[in-house]
Amino acid sequence: MIRLKLVALWMLMVAGFTACSSIDCPIQTTVEVNYVMPDTLKDTLYVLSKRADGTDTLLLNRGIDLTKFALPVSYAHPEDTLILMIKDKQKTTTIDTVWMKKDDIPHFESVDCAAHFFHRITQVHATHVAVDTIFILNPSVTYDTSAKHIEIHFKGRN
Amino acid sequence: MIHQQNILRFISRGVISLLMLFAQQTVSAQGFLKLERDTVPFFQGFAVSADLVGVAQMMLSDYGQYEGAFRLNLHNQYFPVVEVGYGKANHEEDDVTGISYRTEAPFFRFGVDVNIMKKKHTGNRIFAGVRYAYTNYKVNISQRAFVDPAWQWETSFDVKDMRLYQHWAEALFGIDAKIAGPLHLGWSVRYRMRLAHNDNQIGQAWYVPGFGLQDSGNLGGTFNVIIDI
Repeated sequence: MIRLKLVALWMLMVAGFTACSSIDCPIQTTVEVNYVMPDTLKDTLYVLSKRADGTDTLLLNRGIDLTKFALPVSYAHPEDTLILMIKDKQKTTTIDTVWMKKDDIPHFESVDCAAHFFHRITQVHATHVAVDTIFILNPSVTYDTSAKHIEIHFKGRN
Repeated sequence: MIHQQNILRFISRGVISLLMLFAQQTVSAQGFLKLERDTVPFFQGFAVSADLVGVAQMMLSDYGQYEGAFRLNLHNQYFPVVEVGYGKANHEEDDVTGISYRTEAPFFRFGVDVNIMKKKHTGNRIFAGVRYAYTNYKVNISQRAFVDPAWQWETSFDVKDMRLYQHWAEALFGIDAKIAGPLHLGWSVRYRMRLAHNDNQIGQAWYVPGFGLQDSGNLGGTFNVIIDI
């Protein structure tokens, strides 16, 4: 009788161990570069880039009174080219280009969770029409939305 | 380096604790761990066993392990044990994410079981035990081509032969019942704790040989067919 109970118990255990599964993907899966500015940018900022097919894509639309903004990163392109378009109150537009080189690091959690790419920023530079200086604060781009990655100063627009 | 030091510290503490435990038995027998004073010889032979849960997992899912154990029987009370196995996962193109994950590697565990039954020489045993385990393995992870949402370049995800390792400990509770002659059947429920690991830069391994899935909790189990020799 005891043996029968043992057999029944092990069959239940086998069924349990093989049937149980859970999906535990991270809730926060946004991987973005956070740009910070020491002073508020009073003008309106637009950020664009070029898609694979040559059309423009708007990454940031009408950012006003910004002290920071976040932009997506290309998954596996060695360098992102960003067009910063700034419109002041007199409707004058100035355009700068920012180039950001990076290493792309595949990031895996589970076969049930979509794969992402983390990045390590290796170089950033820009034209200097409105941009005064731009430099890397933290090169590691991950799920951490609080990290400050790039600091950008604009010429007399605060 | 810090991980290695932690592991060495853990192993040395475990070994010292076991030595002190045995030393304590010979000097003063106290508590449930005391060596029974009777005429039964100290060395009672050894046993070999095979786990069927890992085989069932292998048959019913896309991961699992083949695993055997060699166990000494000291006075039907202490059972030093070495477990050796080969774990394998082959998850081909997940229906939702399109991710494939492949790994296969050997693993080992060693530790000791203590028979906590009051009458220790009946042939049936109830165990409490601990294990230290290690595996060193390579993973291949790939994802079918997908489109970068902002820039729309076609992107692929491919990790080839990335070497990873993991150290872990297990605390277990088990039963071993005598069926006929030298044949025993037994099961164990195990709580697993990851001590140290290197997942390189990929994030997190999914299936670790001998440990199981990383995201399915810390409990595992075995069902053993055991032959006393």
